[in-house]
Amino acid sequence: MQEIFKDILSIDGVKGLMVLSFTGDLVFEKFVAKIPRDSGNMNWSQLVATLGGMRETDLIFEKGRIYMRRTDIGYLLIFVGLFVPMAMLRLNCDILLPSLTPEKSNKRWSRLFKR
Amino acid sequence: MVKNVLIVDDDKEMLLALREGFKKYQESFAVLLAEDGLTALEHLKASVISLVVTDLKMPRMDGFELLAHVMEHYPDIPVIMITGYSTPEMERLAREGGAVGYIAKPFLIENLARQIMTTLRKESEGGTLHSVNSGMFLQLIEMEQKTCTIRLEDKTSGQKGILFFKEGELLDARVNHLKGESAAFKIFSWDEVNLSIQNGCALTENKIQKELQPLILEAMRQKDETATEETPMAVKENVDAWNQASPDLIKTIKSKIEKKVGKQCGLEDIYQDDSWDDQVDKLSTLGNYFNIGKLMLGYIDKGDANDYILLLTEKTTVLAVDPKCPRDKILQVLSD
Repeated sequence: MQEIFKDILSIDGVKGLMVLSFTGDLVFEKFVAKIPRDSGNMNWSQLVATLGGMRETDLIFEKGRIYMRRTDIGYLLIFVGLFVPMAMLRLNCDILLPSLTPEKSNKRWSRLFKR
Repeated sequence: MVKNVLIVDDDKEMLLALREGFKKYQESFAVLLAEDGLTALEHLKASVISLVVTDLKMPRMDGFELLAHVMEHYPDIPVIMITGYSTPEMERLAREGGAVGYIAKPFLIENLARQIMTTLRKESEGGTLHSVNSGMFLQLIEMEQKTCTIRLEDKTSGQKGILFFKEGELLDARVNHLKGESAAFKIFSWDEVNLSIQNGCALTENKIQKELQPLILEAMRQKDETATEETPMAVKENVDAWNQASPDLIKTIKSKIEKKVGKQCGLEDIYQDDSWDDQVDKLSTLGNYFNIGKLMLGYIDKGDANDYILLLTEKTTVLAVDPKCPRDKILQVLSD
């Protein structure tokens, strides 16, 4: 998955990204810059439930920005600074999102039968 | 003022699901349910309805017949149609029949709620006033020769009524089953009301021949003589509050965007909407967790006809924009 996100992570101002499943489980995360996190827990399942129905969300905070896209496997959250080429970021997302598809279950079954 | 939304569908499960789903909007609108068009007519006679949401295919009286009835007898009430058998032809017929919205099943309850809120907002686009003497205010409407639809709620009894003005002339009134002069008398007898003003008047026929002043005086005579008269100052204070409220902020935002981005900025509507607050609160938790501060602005694409920009000040201000709008420019202007 790291390979898929390589282009996004190389955009100036992008600090990192996370992929959350539709139930709020962390599927993948990669940060290229340090983002201090609060010591408390984040309720990811509640956040994902809030994002239900949103295809694209761009949140601008006082000291940072989070760009989110719904994908076939869950939500992609990209953490960026306040000065980032957003059009370029969106374009990269448009290109890569089709490659984020759920794992095909038949592979698991075939492994099972081999055993 | 909580508005009544009448939902008509022969699918009982659908009605119950909608009633349950709309509970969180109960501060904005109340839901009345009807299983077919004829039952809906009884509700229309008995209550002041602000909006009708109706299914198309129903026994006894279907959605198209109900739409035609509402357009003829209650032209001020907007109608949203929902159907599980949507075709372009049906949508065209519904729109031509006067429906303000058309939604194909299945749909998200939030999407319908949003459309209801947007439609209801038009009812009070001209402002709202609380605890005013209706007689004083209505004379201002006459003097200003306003064309508007005014919905009133008696603070004592909770009864609701509606008045239709065209260029300052009272055309008609309605309170439950009462219409015309008798409804006007009833409304003018209310001491203290909350009211909302909608610009424009859907009626054209004049059903009240008397001037406003004699009507008010007649209603006054029917009132308890000992009742204390409201002072004009109370009205003035409320009108001033109404003028200074959010419309100023909205005008400022609109002109700022149009000035810096241009008239073709794709801005469709601006309004304040607290129905987003719960979602905004939950999204704001990200700012605390990642130490990036308070949430200031949000751009949201839900796949609707419009995208939404949320400007998070004291109250949530929503900008409905064309999805093809120059969003980065608009966000930049709003960030400044």
